[in-house]
Amino acid sequence: MDSLPYYLQTVVNGILAGCIYALFAMGLTLIYGVLNFVNFAHGELIMWGAYFLFLAMAEPIALPLWAAVPLALGMTALLGMAMDFALFKPLRRANRLTLLIAAIGLSFFLRNAAQLFFGAQVRTYGFEIQQGYRWLGVSLTPQQLAIIVISLICIGGVYLLFFKSRMGKSMRALADNLDLARISGIHTRKVILSAWIISSLLAGVGGILLALDTNLNPEMGVVNLIKAFAATLIGGVGNLWGALIGGLIIGLAENIAVLYISPGYKDAVAFIIMVIILLARPYVVAGKRTD
Amino acid sequence: MKRLALILSVFSLLVCFSVAPLWAAESVKIGAAFALSGSIAVYGEGFKKCVDLAVEEINAKGGISGKKIEIVYEDNKSNPKDCVSAVRKLITVDKVSVLFGPAGSSNFMAAAPVAQESKVVMLSAQGTAEKLTQAGPFIFRIIPSNSKQGERLAKLAFEMGFRKLPVMYINNDWGLDLKDGFVDSFKKMGGVVTDIIPFDEKKTDYRTELLRANKDNPKAIVNLTYINEGAVQFKQAYETGIKTQWLCGSAARAPKMVELAGKAAEGVMGTYPSVIQDTKEYKAFKAAYQKKYGDDKIPIFGDYNYDMVYLTARAIEKGGYRAEGIRASLPAASKGFRGVTGDKTFDENRGMEHADIGIWIVKDGKIEDHKK
Repeated sequence: MDSLPYYLQTVVNGILAGCIYALFAMGLTLIYGVLNFVNFAHGELIMWGAYFLFLAMAEPIALPLWAAVPLALGMTALLGMAMDFALFKPLRRANRLTLLIAAIGLSFFLRNAAQLFFGAQVRTYGFEIQQGYRWLGVSLTPQQLAIIVISLICIGGVYLLFFKSRMGKSMRALADNLDLARISGIHTRKVILSAWIISSLLAGVGGILLALDTNLNPEMGVVNLIKAFAATLIGGVGNLWGALIGGLIIGLAENIAVLYISPGYKDAVAFIIMVIILLARPYVVAGKRTD
Repeated sequence: MKRLALILSVFSLLVCFSVAPLWAAESVKIGAAFALSGSIAVYGEGFKKCVDLAVEEINAKGGISGKKIEIVYEDNKSNPKDCVSAVRKLITVDKVSVLFGPAGSSNFMAAAPVAQESKVVMLSAQGTAEKLTQAGPFIFRIIPSNSKQGERLAKLAFEMGFRKLPVMYINNDWGLDLKDGFVDSFKKMGGVVTDIIPFDEKKTDYRTELLRANKDNPKAIVNLTYINEGAVQFKQAYETGIKTQWLCGSAARAPKMVELAGKAAEGVMGTYPSVIQDTKEYKAFKAAYQKKYGDDKIPIFGDYNYDMVYLTARAIEKGGYRAEGIRASLPAASKGFRGVTGDKTFDENRGMEHADIGIWIVKDGKIEDHKK
């Protein structure tokens, strides 16, 4: 095998993994940016997003894909709002540790609920497997192309919303100072709600793309969320662009590393990068925004 | 009157106590540290049924030299810590000379040193880990180890004409064990392993691992994988256009894997420890099981447990009911002994000399036995 396609394919694989991580990391960082806490239950939003689509396409609803996706995303957004309403809203002024533990508890609850409801076994949407298009010796399936394109669209959309709209401005204001934002007439409840909706939509899109690409199981969210955490930390917590770049760095680094070191250490690569970045940029952990 | 009642009850108690050892002497006690509660209790119940069946049969035929077998069950609660307690209790309180160990290689290996140090024979009917019996000469197993499967896989690769291939394996005890078994045998036969690629469980992206395995377009790739991981890998390999003969182990042999991977699983082959079921021994066992329990769904590893009782009984008959005697006579007792699960002769590591390893293949979306 000549080596150029071999390395190109690795880079493509890295970008694919990176896009998924970035989608997860952006939702995570958005909630952190606005509400100042790490939502450990974000992985379960991802997983439920994928399962909602499974539900919508299975009997008795049996919708076609184009109709099932909006329904699934809507359900995911509802779940996100419900999470906030039931748990995080009453704890709005609690300290970070309380929120952290509450989120971890919620994560277990939602994962076990999925296991109870769908069973622990692996499921699939059941689409026909396709061979990828070949271009310069690199293979890319339509689904993989969709992952990259949809990720880019989501990232662009979130950017516009966050930096070019009134809502985004309110979100940023709220992140800076909740009380001050409230005094200056920002409708905080509405802003927080929209942050949850956007974060849940990102999780839902990511989960569905991941499940289309692989399979569904109740642990699909939590397994990838760890990488999303690393991506968030690399990019700077609360920083949207950082989440994108962090996701891509991790995706690329771990895939390229597989070619040279024993793939058993694949996860270690992501975390070594994370530790190095944390050591080099310690202010990131303090929660200081870097954008 | 009261005093009389007291005297009578004390007397009857004394009688009971003095008679009990007499009865005990009439029976041969075998310990069984089984999972009767906890996460793998569903297995333990099945083992117990098959052990009880074998004991009933042997006792009905007069027991061991006229003495009845008595199984002392002890719940190991499905975790290594309580396995150790259960084995210790059987040895110190019930004073058994031989016992059936817990299921699950890690559970068994936690308790094996206890039996070895107390010089009590312990047997496994389920543990396939290579190092299962390494605690010492009192530890035996009657199920083929992973290396037997690895050996068969290497032979399969050779039979199909593959001399150079990379090996992928799932990074856990099972995968590592089977990988070692395969690589050792394959190299001994003169094969070349071009690359060794471990991968983690439960991942969703194996594309670059697959790319690396496929680097020199090998005609075959050995992939010791699980159901979910295998399904994702075969799917991603198919999408990337990797065309090769996949050779797997027993853990991927599941209809679920084929269901998940669809046409990408077509043609995948592998090995698995099989019990040949059309022998007269197996048919008799199945009939006896159905007669006793009313259904013919033999519990997983139940057949091995059944054989374990018979083999132990033979060894006690030869060596007497002393741990040292049982240990010494087990190899001779096993020589040429054909149980339900085949030839049970021990090798020098107190594992199985022979193993029936079958070959499976995915054909038209179904897992079939591969006939040469």
